[in-house]
Amino acid sequence: MSVGSKDRSKRLAHHIGSITLFILIVWTLAPLYWMVVTSLKTNSEIYGETITLWPLKPTIDNYRILFQETNFPIYFRNSVIVAVATTFLSLIFAALAAYALTRLVFPGRRFFARALVYTYLMPSSLLFIPLLVIIRGVGLQNTLEGLVLSYLGFTVPFCSWLLMGYFMSIPIELEESAMIDGCSRIGVLIRIVLPLTLPALAVVAFFSFTLSWNEFIYASVLVSDVSVRTIPTGIPNFVVQDVFFWGPMMASTLISAIPPLIVYFVFQRFLITGLTVGAVKG
Amino acid sequence: MTGVAAAVSVEDVRRTTFWQYLTNDVRTLAFLFLLPTILILTCVVVYPFTYALLLSFQDKTAGAPGKFIGLRNYIELLSDPEYIQIFYNTVWYTVFGVGIKFIIGLASALALNQPRRFTPIYRTILFVPWAIPTVIASLTWLWVYNEFNGLLNLLLTRLGLLDHGIAWLAEPKLAMWSVIAVVVWNGTPFYTMHFLAGLQAIPKELYEAAEIDGAGELNKFWHVTIPSMKPVFTITVMLSTVFTSTSIVVVNILTNGAPANLTQILPNESYSAAISAGRMGLGSAINMTLLPFLVVFIIILTRRMLGNKGA
Repeated sequence: MSVGSKDRSKRLAHHIGSITLFILIVWTLAPLYWMVVTSLKTNSEIYGETITLWPLKPTIDNYRILFQETNFPIYFRNSVIVAVATTFLSLIFAALAAYALTRLVFPGRRFFARALVYTYLMPSSLLFIPLLVIIRGVGLQNTLEGLVLSYLGFTVPFCSWLLMGYFMSIPIELEESAMIDGCSRIGVLIRIVLPLTLPALAVVAFFSFTLSWNEFIYASVLVSDVSVRTIPTGIPNFVVQDVFFWGPMMASTLISAIPPLIVYFVFQRFLITGLTVGAVKG
Repeated sequence: MTGVAAAVSVEDVRRTTFWQYLTNDVRTLAFLFLLPTILILTCVVVYPFTYALLLSFQDKTAGAPGKFIGLRNYIELLSDPEYIQIFYNTVWYTVFGVGIKFIIGLASALALNQPRRFTPIYRTILFVPWAIPTVIASLTWLWVYNEFNGLLNLLLTRLGLLDHGIAWLAEPKLAMWSVIAVVVWNGTPFYTMHFLAGLQAIPKELYEAAEIDGAGELNKFWHVTIPSMKPVFTITVMLSTVFTSTSIVVVNILTNGAPANLTQILPNESYSAAISAGRMGLGSAINMTLLPFLVVFIIILTRRMLGNKGA
């Protein structure tokens, strides 16, 4: 192949890449655009004879209705409580488990590592029916504690799995020399391992936060009281309640997407490296 | 005086030895560190899984004790043409969902891996759907698909491609594809991320060597990129298959199986049977029929994932 044709094939690939990117960006942003625009329209612009592609008279009325006339503030508060509590507990439990599985030699270590992966891969659709019976049995139905406990079932194995990869990348000599200097195991974990894996802890926090923020199946099975509902099971009911509810509905979807998006934008640069050490649920 | 001092120091020694015993005996320490995880996973994963298996052999309704009925739930399912239909739907949904996500994900990763200005911005945008909760994505698309006021019909009629709006989620021939489109929109970034990470890990020397041999872009793609990416492809596709085939959110919110069960998939059917109709035994059995397929993927994946970790 001549130099000229090689250049041509490179340029062609570049152009194809540009067109692909353009199409994919439009496809990615279009529904989000429609969400934002709808949330800012008046009802006559949403359902009128001639629907507009952008709001002619932008209004925040839909947001006002959402916060004053619906249970959205309750759902939002519940989601925050559940996601923060789950993230906090998963970080602690996962750090301990991952440290034990990577640094401590004990019988059954391989078995536990394997069991962790199995539980991580166990789809929640296989578990929600018995979980309902169990959670009801211990009186945690319709409580946020019941949700947090159930969510730990998928966040802990996943976070431990991610952290194991990071812990293994820390040179063991650092820990050994600290222990010779009289540092205990727990001291090593707190003073050496955790500070060195801060980006990993950030990634793990991100994942457990979004996983519990998004969770739908357990939340819809374990909770029926309006006062304990989280966003994913609360806002779909807006459709049933009122046909002309798309304005506040899109306002609620926009607000609900913001917390995970903020966390995503903040942690972006760590995410790709996070992926190379462990696999991600999705 | 000396007696008291001696007693204190003995006490002191005893306390330190107990603390040292706890923190320096590796086995005890490992056990303590793993204890919370073991407790949680036993209560909310291992025990429920065993329970689900047992339930699938029972006639159990909500609030009443279960009765063992052997294989009768499974026999009822396999002789029900509706179940067979839903099983096919699930396979269709999973194969096309995973396949399309794979193709778009690979195309995005290849494009993002090319040297181009503003690539970080494009990457940020393309990853956004992944940070959007699936429930939120489904509700937004429900509105985009709306027959009278949705964006899709609005654009297609404005562009003159349609005379009047289409009911995307009610039209028998289109409903499943409309559902799959949402799965693809929400799930593609997962592939893009894995593939991009994989592409960036391919040694530059391989491409340079291929160029010296006179390979064009297409040749490099077939002979360097594809072979180097095989492990990434396998792990991404298997993970995604497990989680796509078992996720009920998109179907539950967009159609809940309508029209005429054409978009119904097994996990959502199990949800309807167990929660809406209260037949927990049958609901468990519906899910368990997916298990043999999942087990194959889960075992292969576990082996690969542990292999990567060198554990």
